[in-house]
Amino acid sequence: DTHLSSPPLRDYTESLTLWTTLQTKTQPLSHSLAAHLRLILTPTQATKLSGTFRTGKRLNIKKIIPYIASGYKRDKIWMRRAVPSKRAYQILLCVDDSASMAGALGEIDGETPAHLALESLVMVARALAVLEAGSIGVLGFGSGEPFLAHSLSDPPFTASADAGARVLQKFTFRQEGTDMVRLLRGVVERFREGRLMQSGSSGGEELWQLALVLSDGLVQSREHALLRPLLREALEMRVMVVFIVMDDAGPAKTKRTSVLDLKEARFGPDGVPVIHRYLDSFPFPYYLIVHHLADLPGALAGLLRSWFAEVNA
Amino acid sequence: MDEPMADAPGAQVRVTFTTTEADLELPESKRQLLVPADIRRYGLSRVLNSESMLDTGSIPFDFLVNGSFLRTSLEDYLTANGLSVETNLSLQYVRSLIPPVYEASF
Ligand SMILES: [Mg+2]
Repeated sequence: DTHLSSPPLRDYTESLTLWTTLQTKTQPLSHSLAAHLRLILTPTQATKLSGTFRTGKRLNIKKIIPYIASGYKRDKIWMRRAVPSKRAYQILLCVDDSASMAGALGEIDGETPAHLALESLVMVARALAVLEAGSIGVLGFGSGEPFLAHSLSDPPFTASADAGARVLQKFTFRQEGTDMVRLLRGVVERFREGRLMQSGSSGGEELWQLALVLSDGLVQSREHALLRPLLREALEMRVMVVFIVMDDAGPAKTKRTSVLDLKEARFGPDGVPVIHRYLDSFPFPYYLIVHHLADLPGALAGLLRSWFAEVNA
Repeated sequence: MDEPMADAPGAQVRVTFTTTEADLELPESKRQLLVPADIRRYGLSRVLNSESMLDTGSIPFDFLVNGSFLRTSLEDYLTANGLSVETNLSLQYVRSLIPPVYEASF
């Protein structure tokens, strides 16, 4: 890609080393996540309606006329949930590429949200690849339009170190803003395209779309209100958005306050400052706060489990 | 939680308050704060003095950023120094009643 507006890339050799390091480091957790997800992502409940029964969930329209014609004798006119339908997944991993994710000089050592985000990216992507759960895309976001680091329609980037490194290369954590509104618009748009892509290709599979946002959670509070209608739109499209807050509070030298403790000051009309808890206006209904990578598999699995239980209820 | 808060806020900046004055130290969980980007020395003083922070009433504070006194809004400081709102600004606060000589030594 030689387009003039392309952001600078991380060095390829460095990215290759990073990929290998992260892959080795996250291997056991990736397995554990895959084990959790195997139970959750495979349908256990019958969701498809079929058959002919005396009672059931929905009328089988084709049976109505014979029913009337038979003088209401052929009364097996109902369908029931009988066949577990096969599921197809599209998963977008959305990585916050903004400068707040990195250290003061753009470094992404082990104590930054940026590092935790990349670790999570590798871990989750590899777990999903093992499960052959569906297609996985990577979206980066910051101050401008979100960029596609890996398309849903491309073969998995976890297949080779080269492909993995090329995804990592796109993240330099130098963007001077965190535009979550544009990210959500981008997610909704990609998933609309994804649904069209799917309906063109497959027969009768049930499509599930999931966006995981990997970010330090610092969104300008004025955007919170703008995000709510977009989150509702996603919900109506049956897109699940999970916000995973990379809250690596780090050792003493970083002294990054946990987002759980973070407060914000606002001035009322009388000029008196009022201190609120930042998370009180945080608009994402599904979010996890991850302090250590090891927390993620269990937490993510728990959240997805309850979500599936909710939508299948 | 769903209704908008008192005022529609503008841009915010994350700051970390530090001090060398032992009697005015904030507990660790209160040192980082999101503040309006257009805030100046006076607003920052009011925030620090507020009940949920130091609860000190009305001590006038001065703020040092990278060794110099803050004389503009944080927004203007960031712009003048080529920084963005993604920056975590470290603000060292000192009691404002300091002799000019001391100030000159910075
Ligand atoms: Mg940011």
